[in-house]
Amino acid sequence: MQWLDALIQGVLLGGMYAQYALGMALMFGVMRIVNISHGDLVILLSLIGISLASAFGLGPLPVLVALVPLAVLIGFVLQKTVLNRVVGNDPLPSLIATFGLSIALQNLMLQIWSANSRSLPGYGLESRSIEIGGIYIGLLPVIVLAVATGLTWGLDLMLKRTRFGRALRAAAADVEAAAMTGIDPRAVYALATAAAVGILGFAAVFQALRSTVAPADGPAQLIYAFEAVIIGGMGSVWGAFIGSMVLGISQAIGFRIDPGFGVLAGHIVFLFVLATRPQGLFGRA
Amino acid sequence: MSAVLSTHGLVARYGDFQALYGVDTELGAGECVALIGANGAGKSTFLRAVMGLLPVAREMVRLDGEPVGGTAPDRMVQKGVAIVPEGRRLFTGMSVEDNLRVAIDQAARAAGKAGARAGGKGGWTLKRVHDLFPILAEKARTPVQSLSGGQQQMVAIGRALLCQPRVLLCDEISLGLAPKVIREIYAALPEIRAAGTAVILVEQDVGLAQSASDRLYCMLEGRVTLAGKSAEISRAQIGEAYFGVGHAVA
Amino acid sequence: MTMTAVPFADAGLPAVRVQRQTPSGRIALTLALAALVALVAMPWWASTGTIRWILELCCYLAVAQMWNLLAGYAGLVSVGQQAFMGAAGYALFVLAQTYGINPFLAVFLSLLVPAVLAVPTYFLLHRLEGPYFSIGTWVVAEVFRLVSTNLPLVNSGAGMSLRVMKDYSAFERNVAMSLLCATLLLVTLGGSYWLLRSRFGLALIAMRDNPVAAASQGVQVGRLRFLIYVAAAVGCGLAGAIYFMAQLRITPGSAFDPMWANLAIFIVMVGGIGSIEGVLIGTLIFFVADRWFGEYGASYFVVLGLMTLAVALYARTGIWGAIARRWDAPWFPIGRRLIDPQQGTKGETR
Repeated sequence: MQWLDALIQGVLLGGMYAQYALGMALMFGVMRIVNISHGDLVILLSLIGISLASAFGLGPLPVLVALVPLAVLIGFVLQKTVLNRVVGNDPLPSLIATFGLSIALQNLMLQIWSANSRSLPGYGLESRSIEIGGIYIGLLPVIVLAVATGLTWGLDLMLKRTRFGRALRAAAADVEAAAMTGIDPRAVYALATAAAVGILGFAAVFQALRSTVAPADGPAQLIYAFEAVIIGGMGSVWGAFIGSMVLGISQAIGFRIDPGFGVLAGHIVFLFVLATRPQGLFGRA
Repeated sequence: MSAVLSTHGLVARYGDFQALYGVDTELGAGECVALIGANGAGKSTFLRAVMGLLPVAREMVRLDGEPVGGTAPDRMVQKGVAIVPEGRRLFTGMSVEDNLRVAIDQAARAAGKAGARAGGKGGWTLKRVHDLFPILAEKARTPVQSLSGGQQQMVAIGRALLCQPRVLLCDEISLGLAPKVIREIYAALPEIRAAGTAVILVEQDVGLAQSASDRLYCMLEGRVTLAGKSAEISRAQIGEAYFGVGHAVA
Repeated sequence: MTMTAVPFADAGLPAVRVQRQTPSGRIALTLALAALVALVAMPWWASTGTIRWILELCCYLAVAQMWNLLAGYAGLVSVGQQAFMGAAGYALFVLAQTYGINPFLAVFLSLLVPAVLAVPTYFLLHRLEGPYFSIGTWVVAEVFRLVSTNLPLVNSGAGMSLRVMKDYSAFERNVAMSLLCATLLLVTLGGSYWLLRSRFGLALIAMRDNPVAAASQGVQVGRLRFLIYVAAAVGCGLAGAIYFMAQLRITPGSAFDPMWANLAIFIVMVGGIGSIEGVLIGTLIFFVADRWFGEYGASYFVVLGLMTLAVALYARTGIWGAIARRWDAPWFPIGRRLIDPQQGTKGETR
């Protein structure tokens, strides 16, 4: 029973991680870029959301409605001003640029919001739970998982069925050939990053509702997103989703073994997957 | 003659290495011109430079008289120039149909943006490409990487046609294919030209190039060494231009 | 290997000589040797406080040069070298404090730990493509931190103190620190310079410029990368062991502090990647900035971060890159110049 509970909590936690991982999988898939400030952007959006909520007395839903468009805009601007200049075969420039951005963002947030942990008031949403067969399941984590599933499904459908999705996949496969077919790579990149950071708008709201956020939390979120993407296997959004579940379950079970072992268990499962199946659980060899 | 595409003293370089030394060419509306030459003569570089994949000066390439040198490749496509690139460069992981749809999508986007101006008169549709290469209809759902070389080449040509080009650049479309498959692919050329599309064929096979084209240019070490009507040029002339016999080799 | 010109002749060609040292290089080498002597002599001219900050400076130089070797030559952009600093630091404390081994001997014994850990780490992480490799190195550093937090051998999260150092007089400790600083620079900076001038150097530079082309020219890119990774782990380990010996205290948080990655990246990128001169310039800038503006805390780091971003966007070769474009006077020449006695310089590799 205790382990079943850990499993369920792990899946629910995975729902949170999936919201981080989707954007990273998308950006890496298309541009071969990892945005080191990925986690910091979540925290930035969370803190903006918390400030908005307290300034205007907004509930979680209005905050979400405000944050997602803001996140999309941030993603678009990030691509136009920074990433478009560093995208290319050499991974160094993009890493260094986003690394510098990450340090600047963390410390900027520290100045504006101080080092304190904050959270978004959920007006009782965070404490509601459902009991199924003696196991209590929080309503909020279920919503998080449902939203993560919906985002993954929507992103997958968008990639497979829409004009933009095809352009994205074409640019991911061969960017020069895509340009020779009439695709403007920079426009595709900008939209991809806008979508990736837009998803972080959801993650920001749910992270701030589920637990607390502080300016220094970003790197941990970056690492979880990264582990989920690698565990799942690169190149598919469902891979990132399943990877998030595996990471969440590993952490939850590790936490049951010893509270100090939770995060480490996730890292160990990641390293184990890397050692035995480097292409990821769902990646093509 | 009103040239749809022309180059004027086209110069291109890869870093320190100069690959083209002032190439002048002309392509009339609806014409088919072959570009022949040995490996490394600069044929593919010429196409890449025209397509905007290499930095060149604005005045060096003209489309309908308008200077377009150095325009980004996606803008060149919108202006009506499409390419069947060397090595086919299909979108791996995507099906045959999705590969073709990418071109349809972009052509539709461009048409929506610029009205009916940009697209060629070709009016290529998925159905017409399927009529041209029936195997592509049969394999619509197959991922392109599991096709044969000839079938992949057909996808690449179909993709370029669906960009609705007025000018089609073909880079070594016979390379590595069996003679029967080459005949099949070249059989599509009259239909492409019938749609009003002018074609530049880069070809290693001189005989094939000569029979398929109206005019031809022969290149050697980044320069045009011979130009003329395909039907009137003799084998000996080509041989001379091709290998630089009788020319002072720089 | 000789520092002087090597005669070079081939049948039918004019006699040319290969020149490997330049006037600017000779000056810099002389200054470097003088600095090394000054470093060794510190106990006789510097206060304990001065020795401490010079030691810190030496650690910055060493860690930055190791990162430079990884990112600037081997194409391995690590953001987790603190893993090896902490591992060696902890190894020193365990050997000296727990097992009572002479701490100055233990500094060198502790280097076995990063060397041994670097092997499986490399084999796990090299499967990851470009940017994913980087975050992988960060995960490994986090794993080391979390393991040390849970490991009773290293007193778990509470950390350890190096009380055995009390057995030595202040002067003895100063002498040891000074010698260790000199060794650290000799191994990391001197070692890199030697490596870049050796036959591996050409391979490394070829690899930096184009790994695929280098591989096709017979450079064993994979093996060279592995060796550089292990060497950098040992170099960072030595810096870590010396740093924490001076600190007298180590905790999981300080041992595996990602700050070291920030610092190395800032120094190398601003100073100029792919050159030893860049590391020297960058370290100097960072050190001065840290002294002058460190008290501004967060806003100082905002500026540091934005500067790193700006270098990545607008000036990838850093300060040394800009200098080298204007004046051809390398401090540490690694190239080979062909000298035609009749005409002067003919060509060079850099």
